[in-house]
Amino acid sequence: MKILIVDDDRINSTILHRLLSREGHHVFSAEDGQAGVEMFDSERPELVLMDIRMPRMNGYEAAREIKRLSSDRFVPIIFLTAVTDEEGLVQCIESGGDDFLTKPFNRTLLQAKIEAMERIRRLHTELHNQKEELERHQERVQQELDISQHLFSNIVRAGNLLDAPCLRHISRPMSQFNGDLLVASYNPAGGLHIMLGDFTGHGLSAAVGAMPLSEIFYGMTAQGYSIGDIADEMNAKLLSIMPTRMFCAACLLEVDIRQQSLMVWNGGLPDILLVDGVGNLQQRISSYHLPLGIRPFNPDDRKVSIFELRTDTRIFLYSDGLTEATRHDNLMYGSERLEQHFEGRLLPETLFDAIIADLDGFRAGAQQSDDITLLEINCARAHEEPVSDSVAHARKKFIPPTNWSLSFFFSPQLLQTVDPLPAIVNSVMNLQAPAGHRERIYTTLAELFSNALDHGLLGLDTRTKQTPEGFMRYYTQREERLAALDHGFIRLELTHIPQYDEKQQKIGGEMHIRLEDGGPGFDHQHVHSTLDGNLGHGGRGIALVRSLCTKLSYNEAGNCADVVYRWTI
Amino acid sequence: MSGTISIARTDQETTISIKGRFNFEMHSQFRSAYQEETVDKSRSRRFVIDLTGTEYIDSSALGMLLLLREEAGTTDADIEIANARPEIRKILETANFQRLFKIT
Repeated sequence: MKILIVDDDRINSTILHRLLSREGHHVFSAEDGQAGVEMFDSERPELVLMDIRMPRMNGYEAAREIKRLSSDRFVPIIFLTAVTDEEGLVQCIESGGDDFLTKPFNRTLLQAKIEAMERIRRLHTELHNQKEELERHQERVQQELDISQHLFSNIVRAGNLLDAPCLRHISRPMSQFNGDLLVASYNPAGGLHIMLGDFTGHGLSAAVGAMPLSEIFYGMTAQGYSIGDIADEMNAKLLSIMPTRMFCAACLLEVDIRQQSLMVWNGGLPDILLVDGVGNLQQRISSYHLPLGIRPFNPDDRKVSIFELRTDTRIFLYSDGLTEATRHDNLMYGSERLEQHFEGRLLPETLFDAIIADLDGFRAGAQQSDDITLLEINCARAHEEPVSDSVAHARKKFIPPTNWSLSFFFSPQLLQTVDPLPAIVNSVMNLQAPAGHRERIYTTLAELFSNALDHGLLGLDTRTKQTPEGFMRYYTQREERLAALDHGFIRLELTHIPQYDEKQQKIGGEMHIRLEDGGPGFDHQHVHSTLDGNLGHGGRGIALVRSLCTKLSYNEAGNCADVVYRWTI
Repeated sequence: MSGTISIARTDQETTISIKGRFNFEMHSQFRSAYQEETVDKSRSRRFVIDLTGTEYIDSSALGMLLLLREEAGTTDADIEIANARPEIRKILETANFQRLFKIT
């Protein structure tokens, strides 16, 4: 060990020097405090033996200076003292000394003290190294977390329409990563899909599960899949990637303001609350399904509930982090307190802020123990397009108009098993998807298809939907009749022809669509021939298609529609 | 702050009682409470999760129940969740756990 002796008494110093050298230590001597400090700095000893009374700088001052110089490592200082009064000894410790040894020295005692100090010094070094290692590790982890968070928010936010004018939300994660997933996007028909998911646990592990879900959500919504299909796909994904004890309580909504309908799939989230135009609770939609990622779906698990929306309806959904938020005495905020807001005392447009203010007042700064999310959907503004939508449009590749055609044939068995509409629409969109026409083409195909299925094959009457009770009955009937369907078909033929101007330049194209069903046909001339007549409860009908297309005609029987859709570059 | 677990065993039945807060901190305690019995999957065993003294339950606790269900190899109502107070019952029912467990 490197030992520094600071003593102005030469005899003393020499004795010590010899003694310690014989023990195998590497020894340096300084004749006063000042020289001691300088030598400490240049030789970096591991132990200092320090006299007290010395010229230039005394032992106390030198000890203070040495401790200051070695603040990042532990160098024990043992005072060599003739002083035996308590005052003097206290001063030794106060100035940074770690032990003292009274003159004249006892050799055994000195060795023992040096050994003891060496042990302490080693412990200190080890602790210091571990602390540094830990700090480096923490820094690395934090850097990785920051990068992950960046990726995470980009993946979840890409294409997220949470800035849509009809939505207001608040997300308060309890840690850097949010275990509540909130995403929104339009489907090709202009319906708004919204999902709120709440994973078991919080932080990184929950966020990792959120990434595949958001991908599925955006991808399938853009392709026109229903929320039941999306929930099914998400469930399968989570089952394959998550450990048993993790799951995701989730709710998926489709708000279709044209149809004035709300479709809900709720698996494990708190009640969704529908509030009317004067601020009263109009309806609650309770969780009907198991959360996602627990067991494989059976047909019943895909079931979606349909509700009627009015233009002044507001929909509130939240994660249980809101009602389970606690204040200092562990009392929970609770759903009763939340629902007291919906008793008609408050103006509907002030509800969102009132809830947040009430929650914050209740919690009074208490520590958050779960992620909190609250979302409001204001149906009055559901038709307003969000600004960011144009970005998604701009990225689509332009395909010049060419000649192509496709045809589909669907048997009742197929129609019972899957909704083939997304597959049809995607094939068309992948071949020729002129910007600005996607929604119209989708709507045209969707309307013709549902007309053929609902009215042509299933014989449903749109007029049923004109009352709220009928609205529900319509969908129940549809389900029953589809399950019982044993004959008929739907055939779609679509031909695309490019259009030229007089200089033989391509200026656009025409889609000739023929949709035929194997049903008895229907009286297309008298059912809803004006657009206005369709804006009640559902039934966008033929009039809508007529308004979007260049030409629409039916055969005499009413079971085959011919449509021409024209578009220009 | 987490709860405490006590276990009572008979030949066919294991009762796990949870007092206080049933949350993520209970994970290893809860798991070791039933693990011995779930090693031999050929023997069917009934589990009763007694929530008489449970004040709070979080989603991690629901996850633990799912894990028990899987490790016990029982997909039917061989696991009973008993005596949950109304708030906790509400949480179990929101997650529709009555389809996976017998809630009494």
